[in-house]
Amino acid sequence: MSVKYIPVQWNRSKWFYDAVMLAGVLLFLAIFLFAAPGLVGHERPISAQIHNARAFGACAFVMLSIILCIGPLARLDDRFLPMLYNRRHFGVMTVFVALTHVSFILNWYFTFSPNPSEIENLLRANTSYSQIGGFPFETFGIIALICLLILAATSHDFWLKFLTPPVWKRLHYLAYLAYAALVGHVVLGILQDQRNHALTVLFLGLAFLVVALHLVVWLRERAEADAKGGAWTHVSSTKDLREGFAKIALLPTGDRVAIFLHEGKVSAISNACAHQNGPLGEGRIVDCLVTCPWHGFQYDVRTGRSPAPFTERIPTYNLRLRGDLIEVHTDPNPPGTPVDPLTLPEGAA
Amino acid sequence: MNDRPFFVGYLPIPGPLRLFLGAIAILLIAGFGAAGYVAGVTQDDPGSGAFRFDYGRQTVTGVVELVPYPIVHVVEGNDRIDPGDTFMMTAGGKSGVDIRAEPLSGQLAQVSGIVLERGDLYMIQLRGGTNGLQAADGAFPQPESEPLGRWRLAGEICDGKCLAGAMRPGRGLAHKACANLCLLGDVPPIFVSTQPVIGDEFLLVTGPDATRLPKRAYDFVGQYVQVEGEITRHGSLLVFALDPETLELTP
Amino acid sequence: MTLPEFLLLLLRIWGSIGTVVVLIFLAWGIDRIDEDAQGAYVFRLLLVPGILLIWPLVLWRWWQIETERVAWFDRYRPSRRHGPAILAMSAAIVALVVIGLNARQYWPKDIVPVQLSERQ
Repeated sequence: MSVKYIPVQWNRSKWFYDAVMLAGVLLFLAIFLFAAPGLVGHERPISAQIHNARAFGACAFVMLSIILCIGPLARLDDRFLPMLYNRRHFGVMTVFVALTHVSFILNWYFTFSPNPSEIENLLRANTSYSQIGGFPFETFGIIALICLLILAATSHDFWLKFLTPPVWKRLHYLAYLAYAALVGHVVLGILQDQRNHALTVLFLGLAFLVVALHLVVWLRERAEADAKGGAWTHVSSTKDLREGFAKIALLPTGDRVAIFLHEGKVSAISNACAHQNGPLGEGRIVDCLVTCPWHGFQYDVRTGRSPAPFTERIPTYNLRLRGDLIEVHTDPNPPGTPVDPLTLPEGAA
Repeated sequence: MNDRPFFVGYLPIPGPLRLFLGAIAILLIAGFGAAGYVAGVTQDDPGSGAFRFDYGRQTVTGVVELVPYPIVHVVEGNDRIDPGDTFMMTAGGKSGVDIRAEPLSGQLAQVSGIVLERGDLYMIQLRGGTNGLQAADGAFPQPESEPLGRWRLAGEICDGKCLAGAMRPGRGLAHKACANLCLLGDVPPIFVSTQPVIGDEFLLVTGPDATRLPKRAYDFVGQYVQVEGEITRHGSLLVFALDPETLELTP
Repeated sequence: MTLPEFLLLLLRIWGSIGTVVVLIFLAWGIDRIDEDAQGAYVFRLLLVPGILLIWPLVLWRWWQIETERVAWFDRYRPSRRHGPAILAMSAAIVALVVIGLNARQYWPKDIVPVQLSERQ
């Protein structure tokens, strides 16, 4: 089955989502840029470029804070799940706001110099890396920007399939690096200068909200996992097993596991053969090796490895006994990991 | 089992969830507005410095002196700039006028450009090439200088141009990289003293013995420092030759 | 060569190789490894920035797919590094805030200029 890629997918929910987020961003910028200058009573206005840069920079900070809050909120209350649904559009919007901030900064602070390269000026102007006050906080901004660019640029569904979900997910942990770097950028930058502490409260309030939500969810989920004794799930009674054959069980993760009884001992391997995902659990043990019913590929049931000289490997699973119930850990071991078989008590099977 | 409404992105949203999401949407938009308001109205006053295009182009004649940054002692002023005044100069952008001023050291020159002004401090951004600075004919007095001893001052090292009004705000740590870039481009540096020194809040700052601002001082630009150095009066301008070894942050 | 010049050179080299990878991958490679991309062309423009940024990862995955080095299973093995990532972010944020606010200075308006010695 396949579906041709299209550039951007939209539906009614996504239109609504994007409209709400865009409305919020535009309201932030409109108030900061056009309403606030008339209310502050400065003798002369802040330079337009600096004012613009601050508006877009502050907006990007608020946006990334919200993005990072969505994940833990959705885990605390599943009614927030729709916010997760189209988060990547909001993320891409954040990158455009951040890039606008960067362009105002580069075209003001790092231009008009005898050296025409703005990027080079950015890197050479302040080199006080060995101090905290006066540290080139732009560095943190550059780190955050690179992370956000990678996240936005790899947000298309193609990347998820191409990189595989685990690699894509790990790559997108960069969001955490981006946010930490952004906090550094703000704390060592504008918060060193700003005399009015309302801005400090706003920025740090958001940052600590993000930290608190993540820690609360992390602690809660860890407590739940402990209560369940990890991710063990019961798959079979000892009485249901037959020597040389397997029982196939569907795990909550969606994976199928084959539990074999061999010489009075129980082992569990993935049900899918490495060759063409044939159902190993419908095969049987021949010469001490599980043999796939489709093409005869063989695996040692204790290690998930094909006998030499073959190199195929499949995942193994950990087992434990609770009374006469056999439980399997839902996380598979890396393919080819040896596991000690579970010895059944006398007369169990 | 969980009988709560279940959201599927491409299907219509269930009723109770619709209400919840509507409330969240309004809260989000309002939150964005509130954040924009808080961040916008708490911006600090950037100071009074500005380009005075409203004054029009200023053209005066004076004696060029290098301390080592070029300054001009006004001989023939106009209705805004008095004879006897001493001022600093900058080129357009983040550049000084050293290359143009060096051949004219100790000579009479015509200076033309736009004023940057912040309180008692002003400098002139010269027009390009010889339109901005050219040798002039006439009699002129040699500029005098008066040593005022060794001092310990507290304050901030800034680039003179942004401070005087090229940028608002034109000082502080968020502006540090820009200030360094100006100083690397030979814009004259200025020390802003916490309290007036012999009547002046702003002093042209140099290295010891009429050298440029030492590299060590660049690390302190935009921070609040205490530093010792020799003060000399050049015309109406105080020049502070700091001793980089004594630079330290204020507590 | 100064450090900024060196970094810019690295950036240019990275971008140049990335451009070559973009051209080869989008014109040829993507059709070989992803049947969903066959006949779809507009969306490929959206992939350009991503390939420019992480082309080594693109080449690595392409090679893995071509040589079938990835077991089916690796595709579905969820990452379990979420906890450490969250803890690292939280610790970094708290540390940065504490260090940053601690270094914050206030305008020392009460320190008066002191004359240490008379004119020489």
